[in-house]
Amino acid sequence: MNLNDISQEEFESIEAYLNGQLSDEDVMVFENRLKNEEGFASKVEDIKTILTGLETQVMKEQLDEFHDEMPNSQEDITTNEPKVKSLHWKRIAVAAVLIIGLGSFWLFNGNSNDRLYSNYFTPDPGLPTTMSSTDNYEFYEAMVDYKQGDYNTAGQKWKVLLEAKPKSDTLNYFIGSALMANDKINEAINHLKTVTESNDGAFKNEAYYYLGLAYLKSGNTDAAISALKKTNVPKSKDLLKKLD
Amino acid sequence: MREAYKIHQKLQVIDAIKNNDSSTLKSIYTKNYPKVEILVLKNNGTKEHAKDIYQEAFLALWQNIKQDKFVPATESSINGYLYTIAKNKWMDVLRSKGYKKTIVASQLQHFEIKDEEDNGIDDDILKDKRLEDVMLAFKNLGEACRSLLRMFYFEKKSMNLIAEELSLDSASTRNKKYRCMQKLKQIALKNS
Repeated sequence: MNLNDISQEEFESIEAYLNGQLSDEDVMVFENRLKNEEGFASKVEDIKTILTGLETQVMKEQLDEFHDEMPNSQEDITTNEPKVKSLHWKRIAVAAVLIIGLGSFWLFNGNSNDRLYSNYFTPDPGLPTTMSSTDNYEFYEAMVDYKQGDYNTAGQKWKVLLEAKPKSDTLNYFIGSALMANDKINEAINHLKTVTESNDGAFKNEAYYYLGLAYLKSGNTDAAISALKKTNVPKSKDLLKKLD
Repeated sequence: MREAYKIHQKLQVIDAIKNNDSSTLKSIYTKNYPKVEILVLKNNGTKEHAKDIYQEAFLALWQNIKQDKFVPATESSINGYLYTIAKNKWMDVLRSKGYKKTIVASQLQHFEIKDEEDNGIDDDILKDKRLEDVMLAFKNLGEACRSLLRMFYFEKKSMNLIAEELSLDSASTRNKKYRCMQKLKQIALKNS
């Protein structure tokens, strides 16, 4: 490729053509040249290659930055895998016996509230993470962590956002759900209460259900029943019957 | 109403990608990488391989969207497209000479091996020697030119804004840009 014989003016007009910045009239003149002037088309092609190459290289460097900034959650997943594989089957058998043993111990001794809680609690599945909401980027970034089961990271990211909007029902609701998934029940209750007290109703129904479960887990059965009565999440009826 | 809303949103994503909007690109990049890493790690690759393959795939996705060769209808079609390109590329690596000797077909259990070779995706957009030369040349360009050209062609800032940032008038900025382009082209020629 040889650009040395291209003047600044010519370079700028080719660039404007490639970027679609020429007027209709100029485009006609330009395309006429493309057809008739020998060697002109290849000049234009060369500049196009240079522009594409340049932009692509910058993008590549940008991708490296994205990569370095990525949370290392993958590392945990991937390093866990070989460990599991390398476990001796005997160890697994021992572990299984232990689990069964502890499980039955818990079954006979554990209190019934705990049992009900673990039968009924599953974390809220979360919201679809749409990229279009770039204004809410941090929120959805945390939602990605949440959906990958990294409740701790998600909760921490949301708490940062909560400082700006302490009454946000969405934030309080998902922080509550993340905390419950991590067994931080008392903290979860505070956030869920905020949701049930908010004027915006989008998450109220679900929030009462989770609040009910949280009270159940913390041993406060009366509060659990009263919260569960305020929601029409289908499972709550079922649960109320068992509590009676 | 809902349909119209969706279409509006879809266009936003495409435009954001075409304009190299950093937060949009980052969110797509971050969200889709883990799946590709798992695919590569489960199929005889390392994290380095996964990163390389994924970035190649990402560049192909971006170029194809810019050139309207791929017009995604939904967000999930972008994700699927990216994954498919990465998978195709990793399959190509595994089939290539260096790998063939060491890999037994049965080790490829995690691929659903139904040769969907021809899924109509053009991911070779960057396999152009001349383009590679330019990319390498840009890496070796002086920092002043790199930053000027980056503002123009990647961040797509206006001439006036760039002139202002450099405390130059717009004519000298244009001339500077022209000279940087010449330098870039010279280095690229030397490499080839």
